[in-house]
Amino acid sequence: MKAFIKTLFGDIWNIAGVALMIAIGAGLMAVHRADLAVFAMPVAGLGVVAVLARH
Amino acid sequence: MDWTAFIPLYLTASVEWVEAFTIVLAVSLTIGWGASLGAAAAGLGTLAALTAITGSALSLGLDLHVIQFVIGVFLLLFGARWLAKSVARQAGLKALHDEAVEFQQTRAKIRKADWFAAWLVAYKGMLLEGLEVWLIVVAFSLHSRAWASNGLTAVLALVVVFVAGLSLHAPLTRVPENTIKFVVGAMILSFGTYWTLEAMAGDVWPLGDWSLAMLAAFYLVGGQALVPLVRQAHRAAA
Repeated sequence: MKAFIKTLFGDIWNIAGVALMIAIGAGLMAVHRADLAVFAMPVAGLGVVAVLARH
Repeated sequence: MDWTAFIPLYLTASVEWVEAFTIVLAVSLTIGWGASLGAAAAGLGTLAALTAITGSALSLGLDLHVIQFVIGVFLLLFGARWLAKSVARQAGLKALHDEAVEFQQTRAKIRKADWFAAWLVAYKGMLLEGLEVWLIVVAFSLHSRAWASNGLTAVLALVVVFVAGLSLHAPLTRVPENTIKFVVGAMILSFGTYWTLEAMAGDVWPLGDWSLAMLAAFYLVGGQALVPLVRQAHRAAA
């Protein structure tokens, strides 16, 4: 069960990083700048990868 | 046939089946090929049942945007993890996955095990390695509804890996697992980014489906650029 959950969600860093990506996308949408989310989300994604790689 | 899903799905499945084959091979030396492959088939059957159950449950009455968002999030979780793991390995922060070492470790683990315990190791190995294949098959199939072709792609990868492994009768150590994980991680992360934002904001991607290729290129180049940066940061912190 533990392995199953870890496969689905990863660790806390994984979840927090993806939550941050989504929050950035949602935040930009909230201020009607979804056009910027197209660039901001991938950049945030790469940032998440960098943080995860160090953990 | 869902051709967009074919490459990431086939590569993901290949990497996971290579790891599963190593375990099945190690177990076969203790309980024989018949029992070991039987355990692998049982693991595969469990995965197939899991795919059918989740597929039917998730397809029932859910809004397409909700499905797309949920799939996108899981692909983000999965893709970021694989890309990060691969970057960490390239940067020397994590040991490269070595099938020969994995084979020896599994052999050592089951040396004193009885028949059933060894059988369970092969079954569990197949099931756990296949969970990521299951996740990707479900994610892509919920989006495209191409359940049969996506399932067959995973099975095709399985057949190729097991036929190669059985003919060599050795762990498949020459498969460049880390490179494949890097490429697949970037591709999956691209799909996750694309679908999540599309589910939230609608048709915002300027190049339509071609944005997926741009995203993949961005993550591939960006991921490669991260390798020396992560290495430097690690050395500075040490």
